[in-house]
Amino acid sequence: MAFFALTGRAQETADQWFEQANAAYNAASYDTAVMLYEKILASDMESVPVYYNMGNAYYKMREYPMAIWCYEKALKLDPSNDDVQTNLAIANLAIVDKMEPMPEPFYVKGWRNMRAMLSGDHWAWCSIVAFALLLVALFLFLRARRVGLRKLGFFSGLVFLVIFGLSVVFAAQLKRSSETQDQAIVMAPTVTVKSAPKEESIDLFVLHEGAKVAILEGSNGWNKVRIANGSVGWLEADKMRPF
Amino acid sequence: MKRIFRLLLFIVCVVPVSLWAQDDPRLTVSTKKQVVVGERFQIVFEANAEGRNFTAPSFQGFNVLGGPFTSTSSSIQMINGSVTRTTSVSYTYALQAYQEGTYTIGAASLTVHGNKVSSQPVEVKVLPDDGSGSSDSGGYAGGGTQEQHQSTSDPQVSGKDLFLKVIPSKKSAYIGEQVVLTYKLYTKVPVSSLSVEKAPTYAGFWTKDITENTGGSLRQSSEIINGIEYTSAEIQKVVIVPQRSGTLTVDPMTIECIAQVRTESSRRRSNDPFESFFNDPFFNRNYVNVQKDLSTQPFNLEVKNIPVTGKPDSFAGAVGNYTFKSDIDKTQLSTNEAIALTLTVSGTGNIELLQMPEPVFPPDFEVYDPKITTSTNVTAQGLSGTKKAEYLVIPRRAGTFTIPQVEFTYFNPATASYQTLTSESYTLSVEKGKDDPEGGVFTSNQEGIKYLGSDVRHIMTGDAKLRSMNTVFFGSPAYYVALLVLLLLFVIMLFVLKKREEMAKDTAASRNRKADKVARGRLKRAAQYLKAKDQDKFYVEMSQALWGYIADKLGIERSKLSMDTVSETMKEKNVPDELTQQFIDTLNSCEFARFAPGSAEEKMDDLFQRGIDVISKAEKVL
Repeated sequence: MAFFALTGRAQETADQWFEQANAAYNAASYDTAVMLYEKILASDMESVPVYYNMGNAYYKMREYPMAIWCYEKALKLDPSNDDVQTNLAIANLAIVDKMEPMPEPFYVKGWRNMRAMLSGDHWAWCSIVAFALLLVALFLFLRARRVGLRKLGFFSGLVFLVIFGLSVVFAAQLKRSSETQDQAIVMAPTVTVKSAPKEESIDLFVLHEGAKVAILEGSNGWNKVRIANGSVGWLEADKMRPF
Repeated sequence: MKRIFRLLLFIVCVVPVSLWAQDDPRLTVSTKKQVVVGERFQIVFEANAEGRNFTAPSFQGFNVLGGPFTSTSSSIQMINGSVTRTTSVSYTYALQAYQEGTYTIGAASLTVHGNKVSSQPVEVKVLPDDGSGSSDSGGYAGGGTQEQHQSTSDPQVSGKDLFLKVIPSKKSAYIGEQVVLTYKLYTKVPVSSLSVEKAPTYAGFWTKDITENTGGSLRQSSEIINGIEYTSAEIQKVVIVPQRSGTLTVDPMTIECIAQVRTESSRRRSNDPFESFFNDPFFNRNYVNVQKDLSTQPFNLEVKNIPVTGKPDSFAGAVGNYTFKSDIDKTQLSTNEAIALTLTVSGTGNIELLQMPEPVFPPDFEVYDPKITTSTNVTAQGLSGTKKAEYLVIPRRAGTFTIPQVEFTYFNPATASYQTLTSESYTLSVEKGKDDPEGGVFTSNQEGIKYLGSDVRHIMTGDAKLRSMNTVFFGSPAYYVALLVLLLLFVIMLFVLKKREEMAKDTAASRNRKADKVARGRLKRAAQYLKAKDQDKFYVEMSQALWGYIADKLGIERSKLSMDTVSETMKEKNVPDELTQQFIDTLNSCEFARFAPGSAEEKMDDLFQRGIDVISKAEKVL
């Protein structure tokens, strides 16, 4: 009981901060807004609106790498959010590096698009609903007197089984991606990606602030990163902000 | 380009005596009003047309030293196809005053196109000689009879007697601030001609020559420098506007001038009358022309940057002191009617360089390029003037529109501050014009949506939907609990159904078991009624025994009991058709007998026997 009261109060103050931050944003004092949004995050609370609004504030302050980071963070929570996708695209226009994504096989793209239709929690709920419907279908199949109903139960059961399986897989994948910080935004103005996790190794290519990289592995303050066009190299971990 | 100035010999005070009437032939006279005894001066009669029979007045009280020197000049001007021809003929006499007093020089006359024109008489005051050197300052125009020759003794003109000076209006300026440079010639000796040898270069400046056009002659005045009186003449006046900061240098200007210097050596000579004749001042043999090159000092201008702090966004490089206004010709109009919006900046400064502020028109307006006109005039402070931008816009859609106010910012170097002036904002109400297609006629003048800008979408307001970090529903205990609950529900449902079915089965089985017993009980009662010959009760009991038995045995509900259901169910239970038929027949006869009373006793017997028979047979099968 005391625990709930505590979290309830924390939620309330965080909501107040959110409102104050939005007011500051509307009054064009973006740094104040950012400070308040950060305060919410520091209290271990998060949500799509918080990340999204914070990204907007950073965008207005022309701090595009941070804006992109916030939008990416919001997209992780809700990959299907149209507002976030739009603003991320706009922010990505403001950075130096224009990266052509590697062409993907249609099924990978299709899989990703399908997964992005719902957020992780929604997929979890979807799996529960599908499971319930699957049981109903199974019941029909087992208990119906009429043959037609039994057939219906069988085939709809198969469909619900597939939906259940997919949503479980999607939810699991999204859960893993939200728990692991496997991507990052470059924060330093200009960085050189090296061929090995050593300062004296060969320079491979140059990235600028705001570039998005996928973190493949890390060691000794260096991360092995892959950029959108598929190039792979090593970059100091402190020059990027993972999400 | 080499500009040539002709410096008329020192005429300190030239007064045009008569004013000119346009185009009429006229004769004007100009001369000094005051002379000193012994001073040489000239009188010029000028006619604006060629004529004959020039008659000079008698110059009573003066020695005529020479003349008339006739010179003719004519010019043809073509302006927009109309040709103007100007002719001027001048007759010049050189005179010398020899006695104090006031003298009147009478009218001269000339016959032009058969008409005699006369000049006005002119009064000349002769003052006593004060012993100053002013008598030397009389001189001549470059008369055709005079022969120029270089003196053998090579006289010099010292830098003190003749020098060129550049006078800037200020020593330091901001970028864009105008500075007036005046090039002045200072002299104590007569100068007959001068020409610019080397014009200064103005690297880093925008320049404009504002030398006043005084028609060939230069404006002269006398100035005292270090106690010495000089005659000064403005050679050139230039407005320079620095374009970058730092120390900018204006290169010197070099002019070549020919000064007339009196040669001392030839002055006092022998008493040879011949010699003395040529020593006569009129012949002027003791004046020689000396060529001298004069240069200004190079001049440095400190150019300061315009302060960055407090610079408004609307500042576009205007420096000076301006006023700003706007004007619109109408605010009530109908579509496709043109509006003229005029922005006017006027004041002192680099008006030719300044950028006009641009008004923002509503997007549905058709805006044409503005017509920008600049008019400048020269003042003592430099250039000033007016710049007008005239916008012609045509609203294409009806509605109420606002042309927001326009800001014009300039930097005032005098106060070293920015000044922002704003024009009015106008609200236009545009009505639908008559030639606009009204409803019913749809022409294909639809337009795509115009995007005026792009920005990130606005923040999300309302519910923050906050939750603790890393609380993923999937895989959480709640998730598994939900799945388990569903599964449990399913299993319970299945179990309950099964149980109920079993129970139903149980009742059917007990009915089956008891069927025989019940039937026998009924048959027993039927037998009693048979003995008692109670026909009605017998048939009722008999019917109930048969129906009840078969219903219990086959598990048919009483409500659904009929001949058809019985035969169907018996067929389902694989009862031999013969028995089924027998049973149905027995039932039929029982029902028939029951509702058709008055049958014989043996019939009741027979039915009783058949009933027992069929039940016992059925008991074996079912």
